[in-house]
Amino acid sequence: MIDRYRWYELVLIYAGILLTLIFLLAPFLEAFMVSLRPLEMIFRIPYRFFTDDMSVDAYVAMWSSVPDLPLYIFNSFFIAVSVTVLALACIIPAAYAVSRFTFFGRDAILAAFLGINMIGAAVLIIPLYKLMLSAGLLNTYLAMIIPGAAFSVPTGIFLMRSYFLRIPRELEEAAYVDGAGRLYTLWRVILPVSLPGIMVVAITTFIAAYAQQFLFALTFNAVDEYNPLPMGLYQFFGRERVLWNELMAASLTGILPVLLVYLFLQRHIVAGLTSGAVKE
Amino acid sequence: MGQLKLNALVKRFGSAEVIKSATLDIANGEFVVFVGPSGCGKSTLLRMIAGLEDVSGGTIEIDGRVVNDLAPVERGIAMVFQSYALYPHMTVYENIAFPLRVAKAPQAEVDRRVRQAAEVLQLTTRLEHRPGQLSGGQRQRVAIGRAIVREPRLFLFDEPLSNLDAALRAEMRLELSRLHAQLGNTMIYVTHDQVEAMTMADRIVVLQGGVIEQVGTPLELYHKPANQFVAGFIGNPKMNFLPATGVGTTEAGVQLRLFNGLELVVPVDGVVAAGEVLTVGIRPDDLLPSDAPGIQVIPEVIERLGNVSICYADAEGGISVNLVAGGLADLARGKPVNIGIDPACCHVFRSDGSALVRRFNITLARDKPHALA
Repeated sequence: MIDRYRWYELVLIYAGILLTLIFLLAPFLEAFMVSLRPLEMIFRIPYRFFTDDMSVDAYVAMWSSVPDLPLYIFNSFFIAVSVTVLALACIIPAAYAVSRFTFFGRDAILAAFLGINMIGAAVLIIPLYKLMLSAGLLNTYLAMIIPGAAFSVPTGIFLMRSYFLRIPRELEEAAYVDGAGRLYTLWRVILPVSLPGIMVVAITTFIAAYAQQFLFALTFNAVDEYNPLPMGLYQFFGRERVLWNELMAASLTGILPVLLVYLFLQRHIVAGLTSGAVKE
Repeated sequence: MGQLKLNALVKRFGSAEVIKSATLDIANGEFVVFVGPSGCGKSTLLRMIAGLEDVSGGTIEIDGRVVNDLAPVERGIAMVFQSYALYPHMTVYENIAFPLRVAKAPQAEVDRRVRQAAEVLQLTTRLEHRPGQLSGGQRQRVAIGRAIVREPRLFLFDEPLSNLDAALRAEMRLELSRLHAQLGNTMIYVTHDQVEAMTMADRIVVLQGGVIEQVGTPLELYHKPANQFVAGFIGNPKMNFLPATGVGTTEAGVQLRLFNGLELVVPVDGVVAAGEVLTVGIRPDDLLPSDAPGIQVIPEVIERLGNVSICYADAEGGISVNLVAGGLADLARGKPVNIGIDPACCHVFRSDGSALVRRFNITLARDKPHALA
């Protein structure tokens, strides 16, 4: 593509990008700065950005202030991974069905999925509580995993369906002519070919599940050992004071697993979102 | 064995009848090409034979067994698709081996047959590559390889060369003809390109609007088209169609008057009434500038190809006439020229499009000397 921007246009573009980035990243930066300060110095007036008393003490102290912190981080990760696996197990067959077969009510189901997406989880929290209660699932991991998966399935089906629709039909017909059954074809041909798409769905589901678990944990779980990180962070709220610096340190540490997963898989995301856009 | 018989085969999509009662016999070892304009139903017909489309009426028999309700693999067919449909995540070896893996063949058997197919298709050095690393022609050969390992009774090709460039297409045509001679299987090949049809086929099936218009050898279709559609479809450049009226029938053939008043006696069988509306067809190759009785035309575009000159010209009354003259023919844009018409080269069609049978025996002989040679 031809570079057709003048210098002042470039300056404007970069200024816009910078502004957006500041807006997005400033909370994280401030959280990071808070985590480096001693507790007494956090609300210092006047505000100073860099100070001499900065240290990483909070990152050490947090493990002893809240001894169960590793467990909470593990729980968060475990719940998000379980949600992803469960959701994918539902999304892939469903998306394949709606992309390849015509059956009664198919379009109605798709429309319903879209509609359900518009209703937030918070609206359904009381009915869900009743459901969990009668199913005897309250205070278990499942109480946090099942709703998490359920809420990510509709979006996942839409994403995955559009990916399946791009896979040429002839690929399946060729396998069929060669004697392969539907399931064999799905397993040996369609799934490997759609791996980038599956990656995109897996990552978006994982991130959504990681971010969304607070609500379900707060409502459906009272057992401390099953709590994910967002609930565990409440332990930093003491009777007299809140350990803000350690709270921020623990929050940032809690983001790390997601960040690692994202870094590891990001080339799949980019490949998945752009593949098929240009004729190869 | 690979003998195919279609019996009053019908295909409907909703209320639209895409294939209208197709009846056809294909002998073992034949190379048959289905040809026709796009939307004529040739691909649908092939997909019905393959078992990818179900049959709305009639029967498909392979080796005397009705296969209407059998899965493709039970019919003993193998198919090569237009887009090759290779599995991008598998190596060439695994692509070719796929049908054998499905059939759970033992590894030794798989290895033997894949290597044998690769040998035939000159892919031995490419077995560990992925389809993405191959050229168009090589991908096509992998797709053919996947078809051969099954050792099918019937090979089906759905426009396999249309994604290749012209030079490679000519090369692959040759390779396919060679492959057919080597394997001796029955092959059915779908194309919209009449050159592919003419060059490879033992017999050509011309389709239009879901109807089989004519079945015959390439030379039969060229010299004795059954109707005006086949006459116009086979041959390049297209046959010229000139309006004419019937005068009468004589011992020597049909007497008619061309649009410019020229009277001809064309050696065809049949009876025409005086005043009957007819169309005379004559191939561009059979027209040459000469002083013989014929028609006066004004060349509009002249394409000099070196060995021949293709001339697009207008005759009186706005009738366009194409002719293929010698490479150095004395033709110029806008300069009127007389072209002779040899009645023996003419085809005569009635107003419903059907042809009067030419009195012409297709015998292979030494070429007639070219006019300018």
